[in-house]
Amino acid sequence: MRQTSGIKAEERELFQRFGLQFRVQHTLLFLSTITLIVTGVPLWCMGRPEYSWSQAVVNTFGSIETMRYIHRAGAAVLILVSIYHLSYTVFTKEGRREFIELLPRQKDVSDVTINSLYFLGLLKYRPSFGRYTYYEKFDYWAVYWGCVIMIGTGLVLWFPEVAVKYVPWFTYALGAEVHADEAILAALSLFIWHFYNVHFNPSRFPGTLVWWHGKISREEMMHDHVLEYYKKVLAQTKSKGQKADPQSGTTM
Amino acid sequence: MKKETVATVGLILAFFTSIYAQEGQELLGDRSDGSRAISVHLIPLYAENNDREKGEQIEPGAEFAMPFSTHWTCGECHSYELVKNGWHFNSVDSNVPPGRPGEPWLYFAPKLCIQIPLSYRQWPGTFRPAQVGLTEFQFTRIFGRHTPGGGPGEMQATEVDEIGRQFVSGTLEINCLACHNAHHGQDMGGPGGYAVQVSRQNFRWAAAASCEFASVKGSAAAVTETYDPFLPDPDEKNAPRVTYQKEAFNENNEVLLQIVREVPNQRCYYCHSDLCYSQPEKAEKWASDEDIHLTAGLKCVDCHRNGVEHNIVRGYAEESANSSNPLAATSSCEGCHLSEGKDQPQAGRLGAPVPKHTGLPPIHLKKLTCTACHSGPWPGKKTILTKTSRAHRLGTPNVNKAQEVLPHIVSPVFARQGGQPQAQLGDGLAGKIAPHKVIWPAYWGILEDDQVKPIALGVVEKVVGKVFADLELPATGDWPKITKEKIIEALKALSPAAAGEAVYVAGGKLYRLNDSGELAEDLDHPAAAPYMWPIAHNVRPAAQSLGARRCEDCHSPEASFFFGKVCVDSPVQAKDGVFREMMDMYEVDGPVYVRVNWFFKLLIIGVMTLLILHIMGDLYRRVMLLLAKRAK
Repeated sequence: MRQTSGIKAEERELFQRFGLQFRVQHTLLFLSTITLIVTGVPLWCMGRPEYSWSQAVVNTFGSIETMRYIHRAGAAVLILVSIYHLSYTVFTKEGRREFIELLPRQKDVSDVTINSLYFLGLLKYRPSFGRYTYYEKFDYWAVYWGCVIMIGTGLVLWFPEVAVKYVPWFTYALGAEVHADEAILAALSLFIWHFYNVHFNPSRFPGTLVWWHGKISREEMMHDHVLEYYKKVLAQTKSKGQKADPQSGTTM
Repeated sequence: MKKETVATVGLILAFFTSIYAQEGQELLGDRSDGSRAISVHLIPLYAENNDREKGEQIEPGAEFAMPFSTHWTCGECHSYELVKNGWHFNSVDSNVPPGRPGEPWLYFAPKLCIQIPLSYRQWPGTFRPAQVGLTEFQFTRIFGRHTPGGGPGEMQATEVDEIGRQFVSGTLEINCLACHNAHHGQDMGGPGGYAVQVSRQNFRWAAAASCEFASVKGSAAAVTETYDPFLPDPDEKNAPRVTYQKEAFNENNEVLLQIVREVPNQRCYYCHSDLCYSQPEKAEKWASDEDIHLTAGLKCVDCHRNGVEHNIVRGYAEESANSSNPLAATSSCEGCHLSEGKDQPQAGRLGAPVPKHTGLPPIHLKKLTCTACHSGPWPGKKTILTKTSRAHRLGTPNVNKAQEVLPHIVSPVFARQGGQPQAQLGDGLAGKIAPHKVIWPAYWGILEDDQVKPIALGVVEKVVGKVFADLELPATGDWPKITKEKIIEALKALSPAAAGEAVYVAGGKLYRLNDSGELAEDLDHPAAAPYMWPIAHNVRPAAQSLGARRCEDCHSPEASFFFGKVCVDSPVQAKDGVFREMMDMYEVDGPVYVRVNWFFKLLIIGVMTLLILHIMGDLYRRVMLLLAKRAK
């Protein structure tokens, strides 16, 4: 790993990556999502002979009714956190800034291309990422898509009589199918893709606590968000009236 | 002149007045006085004379006793002419609205590869017996066993060779005892009972033979048509003869009949039983559950009601459009369970629970009949073979008890209900979806102007019987398997005999010879469409209705309601074991959610493949870097 001598001395320095509001939202989001998955999968499997284990899970919860209540409580939290996030995005400066940072850009396409070539061994360097990598943006927008679908279809299943009144074309069966299918996609993405990227990849295994304290090390900044790092350094040096470090570009 | 005119007019008026008075005359038993007690029927029995009028009173000790006639015995106190207009007896009256399609009479001949639905009622998809060359006399001989008499059984023969035979056999009068005799000795299907007498052409003797105090020997079919049953020949040993138990008669030659106003269930079951081979362990009747209404204590006649005119309520939702029975509108499922009633509460009749259908989108009640969720055997992955009394002679001697015995009725099949007036549905909805019993017609016909007319059974038997002479008939009573070559041979033989283009219909297909003499198949020909009639019973408890546990009973990619396999029954080799998807039967495209399911399946596979490749690429580069580092 190439590093400048100036930075090496300050390697242990931590950067505040996520603010409190962001972390609260994330915590509520993952708590509700995990609750929904844990209760939703057995609910979906109940009554299907090939998934007889689901009965044991239901028994653990007491009854299918209890499980439904917990699932709906999780859904209510998810709906609240979605509203919270929308308000945060619209009404706070931090939210608007983060949202703008998360918007897909032309650079993301070139980053995907460069990274793919890098994975294939055709390039020797990774792309330089800004505040959000393309796969973090993917995570964010996947949750957006997922929440819209899961909440929408979940409400159809929760209030079928209201749904048939206002959206008669959106049948219960359609809602159930989309709800289950999207849940599978979301759960697989969460446990395989997201968990690998943030917890299980070799540089972070066995996990990171960024979701808790919101801080990342200089090393992580240099590796995953080098452009943001230099942006911060430039801002710092400007504010101190110093000359900017000429070292920039790619890291390994 | 004036006096003559007045006298003539007076005579004419007197004549019509007398006719009116005669027709309108109310007999003793035509109207109840309101008592719910059993009316004791200690009555004399009367025979019919050779003028088809009231004959002598039956004397049990007479050397050549005649069978009693229900027409003249029961008709003493109940207007027979009124009764014969009832639903069970009026099928031959073309003025009677056919109403919702019901169970047809299924004529089948394994040797000729025929099973064809017949009915005197104009139910689309059925054929009138005359269309296949069956006279009323022949029809009665074949199917009269499971009728309460009357209808075609009382029609006068018109064919020359049948007029004499009918003089011997008599007509099959309405057998009042078939339904109203509560005595356990009422024998409809026993070795000497009603069904056997009908098969022996002992129509005149059938009702007497069915009761507990008379027995009949001999056969009208076994004597010549010149035999006179009113002047019996003691030397004619084969002639039908009735013997009465003398102890059943009192000193006035009266008999105490155990007649009940309300027909016991057991009497209905003789003609209205069915057997579904849903699960091997439930193949026997004792192992199956019964209709929840019966379990709750109701009787058949609690819903299927009628007065002396015998215009019985069939019990389907839109029946009042076809029936003059005032209870028709309120004796359906909705009538007792849902209908509010105009002047007084209707729902909850007879203790019927009023369903709340909590959480059930109302669209279900618009698109489905009540029976769709609540009646019939629980739908499995594929349809099952079903037997009925009338189709399989249940309850009569020497019934083939094999599961595969013809005719092949498959159920439950969810399909759009026919015969439902479009105007009653509104909202542009076609008939509601209901569970049905289905039969795939198999018959030989003539194609004219793209219409198929069945060829008379006599012609088919003569021509096709010869071609199929070497066909092996399975002991199970199942179809023999016919090859396409055999069909070609039969069609070539039939065309000249039937004077037209012969075709064969089976398994939803129409087979015909093309110009080069090869066998062509037409899949969509309307003549090959299955005949379906709705299932009303057995009604399952609410907790065992479709969707009571979970919506996925119907709304899942595995649900039988949409994706169950409907057996397409055919004797044609290589066409057996063919199935159609359930949703094809009610003519809908695959549900949207199935296409959505496929979209998501592809989406999940696509997205997860890319993400996992990304992870593997990342891991690969990390490993390569580590190895390079160690190498340095």
